[in-house]
Amino acid sequence: MLGEILNTYYLQIGSFILINIMLAISVYVPLSSGQLSLGSAGFMGVGAYTSALLTIHFDLPIFVGVIAGALAASILGVIVGIPSLRLSGVYLAIATLGLGEVIRVIFVNWDSLTKGSVGLTGIPQLGREILEFSRGLGFEPAMIGIRNNQFVFLSIFLVLLILVIAILWFVIRQQNSRVGRALQSINMDDRAAESMGINITHYKVVAFTQGAFFAGLAGALFAHVIGYISPADFSYHRAVEVLIFTVFGGSEVIIGSVFGAFFLTLMPEVLRFVSEFRYIIYGILLVVLMAVRPQGILDANLLKKFKFKRSKGGVR
Amino acid sequence: MRKLNKKLFSILSIVMLLLLAACGGGNTTTESNSNTGEDGVLSAKFGVISYLTGAGAAYGEAITNGLKLAQQDINALGEVNIELVIEDSAGKADQALNAAQKIMSDDSITAIIGPTLSTEFFAVAPEVDLNGIPILGTSTTVDGIPEIGDYVFRNAVPESLAIPAAIEKAVERTGATKVAMIYGNDDALTKGGFEVMERTAKEMGLEITTIETYQEGQSDYNAQLTKIKNTNPDLILASALYNEGAVIMDQARKMGIEIPFVGGNGFNSPQAIEIAGDAANGLIVATPYFGESSDPKIVEFNEKYEKEFGKKPDQFAAQAYDALFIYADALKRAGSSDREAFRESLAETKDLEGILGKFSFDEVGDVIMDVTVLEIKDGKFIEFE
Repeated sequence: MLGEILNTYYLQIGSFILINIMLAISVYVPLSSGQLSLGSAGFMGVGAYTSALLTIHFDLPIFVGVIAGALAASILGVIVGIPSLRLSGVYLAIATLGLGEVIRVIFVNWDSLTKGSVGLTGIPQLGREILEFSRGLGFEPAMIGIRNNQFVFLSIFLVLLILVIAILWFVIRQQNSRVGRALQSINMDDRAAESMGINITHYKVVAFTQGAFFAGLAGALFAHVIGYISPADFSYHRAVEVLIFTVFGGSEVIIGSVFGAFFLTLMPEVLRFVSEFRYIIYGILLVVLMAVRPQGILDANLLKKFKFKRSKGGVR
Repeated sequence: MRKLNKKLFSILSIVMLLLLAACGGGNTTTESNSNTGEDGVLSAKFGVISYLTGAGAAYGEAITNGLKLAQQDINALGEVNIELVIEDSAGKADQALNAAQKIMSDDSITAIIGPTLSTEFFAVAPEVDLNGIPILGTSTTVDGIPEIGDYVFRNAVPESLAIPAAIEKAVERTGATKVAMIYGNDDALTKGGFEVMERTAKEMGLEITTIETYQEGQSDYNAQLTKIKNTNPDLILASALYNEGAVIMDQARKMGIEIPFVGGNGFNSPQAIEIAGDAANGLIVATPYFGESSDPKIVEFNEKYEKEFGKKPDQFAAQAYDALFIYADALKRAGSSDREAFRESLAETKDLEGILGKFSFDEVGDVIMDVTVLEIKDGKFIEFE
């Protein structure tokens, strides 16, 4: 019964949606303090390569690799974040875009470690490791009536879902805390914020590093879901794609990033029946949206309306 | 403001309805797995993953056109009936994997052809292999593809077959002892080709004077070419795609470098002559497909293709055409569309007569076939003597 509902194709798309939500959040967090970062593809690549290399060469468990990947990306985020804070607006965007390209070029040229543009094969797959682990505990997928590969993709999906919920919980909590208020005030006017005694350097680095951490985490998970990475996966196309998730969904509220990533990942798949035209439709949709609703589909006003209709509370 | 919001809501709701409708349509693909059609002809469904949208869509288009043409010809013969399910990969590994999952979720699929790029293939093939579905690459030339698993095959001539043949012939005629190398280091195809070139040159005892690199989309190669010129080589090994390779040759000739170039699979295109003109003379490549050949099979294929799609076929179209014939042959011998039986008979493919010549698989599922070495002379590809 359960076995018929769980289609691996849907679970696979679901997994990519969740990874893209993490990436969209990694753009959203720095953006909520007024920093436009296009380095998400680069940080994602650092996370992916770190985790892949550690698990391939040192046989480390995947969760150690993923954490190491995310930490490596956030360390890089601190190192790059501190000097780049002298920049703002488009200048920061260009600097981070450049950073992403530099990272990609390093992956291309560091042949002995990364195998250049051919990429890394044989990365341990998250779902299969979970399957083996649970078999070690005496659990067989057949016990709950599903096939092995359904179990593999279901477990990936659930792990990602838990992580995304945890990240969302963390970011929403942070927004309603002192840190979040500080970030918001920097976003509105950083001079005014500074004169109110907010240490803007500190908070900006915090936001930027969190973005790098989430991107690195998403990248590491991407590597273990797909099982193969090459520098082409982390080109500036990816950075722009991730930025579009956030801008499309609405960059003022976190739920906008989630919606954007969900909608824009699902759409090319849903549009498969028109084959060659699907990216044309995708493009037209973006143009129309930017023309009629430059702030993105969801914004604070829209959410407020929903709040009136429902009870108070609701999501932010 | 409120009016605008109302409008937006209606637009949004329409979009959502469309989405829902599309989702509904996608669920109706479960059919019974019947081996034979109404008239007793053995039929099978093959999935195709191809690069149909994006920068490299020309490759995917050539491949799907070749497959469609082969499908018509095979079904017209009436021995087997083939159905193709074509999905787009947009040149991205994650999209290719989605397409593969979509194809695999249909239990009536016997085997898969594609994806187009080696970087997509590396992501897709292990998953397909684990599910026990045969998969064949028609354009994936990088080392290590058929080694992925028992169900993984290719009929694309790998660089490790084409490049050594071209270098050997070139060295034989020119008596070269010193070679310079240039390659694009951020593309899996040209990088893979370079590795083979370097290995071959070392095995043949050639002295490598310098190794230069460039990046995709570069337009000025004077710095690299000046260095190459100063080392005074007898031959230049260039692992480049035709669009960059042609520009490299053009600039080299303008600089007074008159020695021959040896290229890989990606350099082999009539487009190279169109871009570089006379400067393309002296390019040596090895290929399974020679479009100007007077072989009646190739002439016939060219005519049919041009009539159907309004342009000349290239190597990728020809390889895809042959690929489907390989599948059809295996299907005939297997006698059923069962995946396991199909894999067995596919692996046994031997000396199959295709438009590119005799074709066999070796023990890992890689291609065994003869390649032709070509050179450009007086603005035309001719066979190299």
